[in-house]
Amino acid sequence: MTSVSETPSITTRSAIEEFLFHEAGLIDRWRLEEWLDLFTLDCTYEVPATDHPDADPGLTWSLIHDGRTMLEQRVIRLKKPEAHAEFPHSQTSRIVGNVQILDETDESISVTANFIIHRAKAGKFDTYVGRYEYELVPRNSSFLIRRKRAVLAHDMLDPQGKISFII
Amino acid sequence: MTAEQFIIDDRENNLFRVNREAFTSEDVLQRERKEIFGKTWLYVGHESEIPGKNDFQTRDVGGRPVIFNRDRHGDVRVLLNTCLHRGSSVCRHSSGNAKIFTCFYHGWAYRNSGELVNVPGNEDYKSEPAAVYKGLQSPAQVDSYRGLYFVNFDPDAPDLLTFLGEARYFIDLAADQSPEGVAILEGTHKYSLKANWKLLVENSIDGYHAKSVHHTHFEMMMELGATPPMLGKDTVNGIAPAGMGTEFPNGHATLMYPANGLPLATDSVKQTLAGLRAQAEQAFGENYANAMFGLARNSVFFPSLILIDLSFGLTLRTFYPVSASETLVTGWQIIPKGVDEEFVKYRIDNALTFWGPAGLATPDDVEALEQAQKGFGARGEVGWSDVSKGMGKPVPAANDELQMRSWWREWNRRITGEQLPTEGTSFVPFDKQGVDA
Repeated sequence: MTSVSETPSITTRSAIEEFLFHEAGLIDRWRLEEWLDLFTLDCTYEVPATDHPDADPGLTWSLIHDGRTMLEQRVIRLKKPEAHAEFPHSQTSRIVGNVQILDETDESISVTANFIIHRAKAGKFDTYVGRYEYELVPRNSSFLIRRKRAVLAHDMLDPQGKISFII
Repeated sequence: MTAEQFIIDDRENNLFRVNREAFTSEDVLQRERKEIFGKTWLYVGHESEIPGKNDFQTRDVGGRPVIFNRDRHGDVRVLLNTCLHRGSSVCRHSSGNAKIFTCFYHGWAYRNSGELVNVPGNEDYKSEPAAVYKGLQSPAQVDSYRGLYFVNFDPDAPDLLTFLGEARYFIDLAADQSPEGVAILEGTHKYSLKANWKLLVENSIDGYHAKSVHHTHFEMMMELGATPPMLGKDTVNGIAPAGMGTEFPNGHATLMYPANGLPLATDSVKQTLAGLRAQAEQAFGENYANAMFGLARNSVFFPSLILIDLSFGLTLRTFYPVSASETLVTGWQIIPKGVDEEFVKYRIDNALTFWGPAGLATPDDVEALEQAQKGFGARGEVGWSDVSKGMGKPVPAANDELQMRSWWREWNRRITGEQLPTEGTSFVPFDKQGVDA
């Protein structure tokens, strides 16, 4: 993962960064319907369990394994006042960095990045950190997300015991 | 000082109240550590988590660090994870495979069956430490039921089967779902909440909060073509759509209700489920298979083992207090063995719609409990919580609060010594003939 690719990337890192920063901004501002539009119809959104960061969330007891339907439902739910864990909405500020293009074909680009998310809610201030793994599909002059995987660099969810927002 | 009174159990007016001090007092927690976590059977793990020789998992059970392992002979052990010399952990990994556990502090080494086998500088002792100290200690009692391992730190406590009593049938209904047995899936939900552990006990067997707290989950289920719990029309084995609550000796309790639609299920998934049901019918009869696959159940095994067995997932959860206002939760998913990958995926995806710290329902529970804990700040002015719903009904519904009252009476007995009568009789939702055989 640390080796430098021998074939120069056609897609520039700054184009990828621009896209990831845009995505982060949409979530931070709770523009979740627009965020959903960044995903393909066959997308998955995954968060593995903290004790099995390399496992397949489809076949293990992970934290999140959403297909398009569940991703839509997650967004619909989060925007309702009855989503009690997120009402009033938590405030988040996320930094996406260490962006690297790992692989690129005509159809897809594999990207990794680190994240730090600060979240304030109900008098608590929590930090979530980890690594993103993306599979992006070029579309027009930008990208769509076919797969987003957020691997938490936590050994358990403590003191921040819930992920009721998008990471 | 009347602070000693934690429960008001008023049978005349059918009022049941819990003193909010029980949720906030560090003194109460110290008594719980001694009288409850020191004397009852506590869940450690399932045999499927340590399938091979020398496999281990490290856990915290009732505040004690333990190694749950299979030794080099294949025997399951629970060892207290503390070096006999000066206390350090002898195993610092969450899971793995090891024949020897070595304390990194001074290098004392133990076999995975516990014996102390190496002490650096052994010759400097007049009496050899191995002869004096033998090996890593185990809880006073270790026993298992249907692959679930429990420990008890009290040598005088009644045995596990006596403790579980009739409530064990709810473990059977889970364990019998495949002729090959069940297994814990890899991956653990491990998280903390800023609330007293007893709030999570109440919440885990509370059918009343479902409509208000999980409204958004119900709406989602309906959008996906499924019927939310307790809102169906069918009666299963005599249990009406509104379900029922039932209590057992020793503080165990269950609420059950007809299991409803299967969100996200494909034809193949339905076929697999029908196959499992047909096998159960053949092995145990229609009545038992109905209970197994036609009813959903939330059970608590005193003090804090929760088994939630719904048609779309089988979740096991246990939790222990860190302080009066903080709880560490561990959750697992159980899967019937021998089913195809599509079925496994379906169960996981369905269960994840609800459970866990990132599920579409559990975070709202956590929010409710943390808000309750905050509310207890006013306990000087508002001193009691109400747990009366359905009290006095001949058959309490699943959204009544008999389950909590049953649990609280046992808690109260262990903390204060006051023995209060139960409300009714235990009920098992199937004909047990043939099951015990």
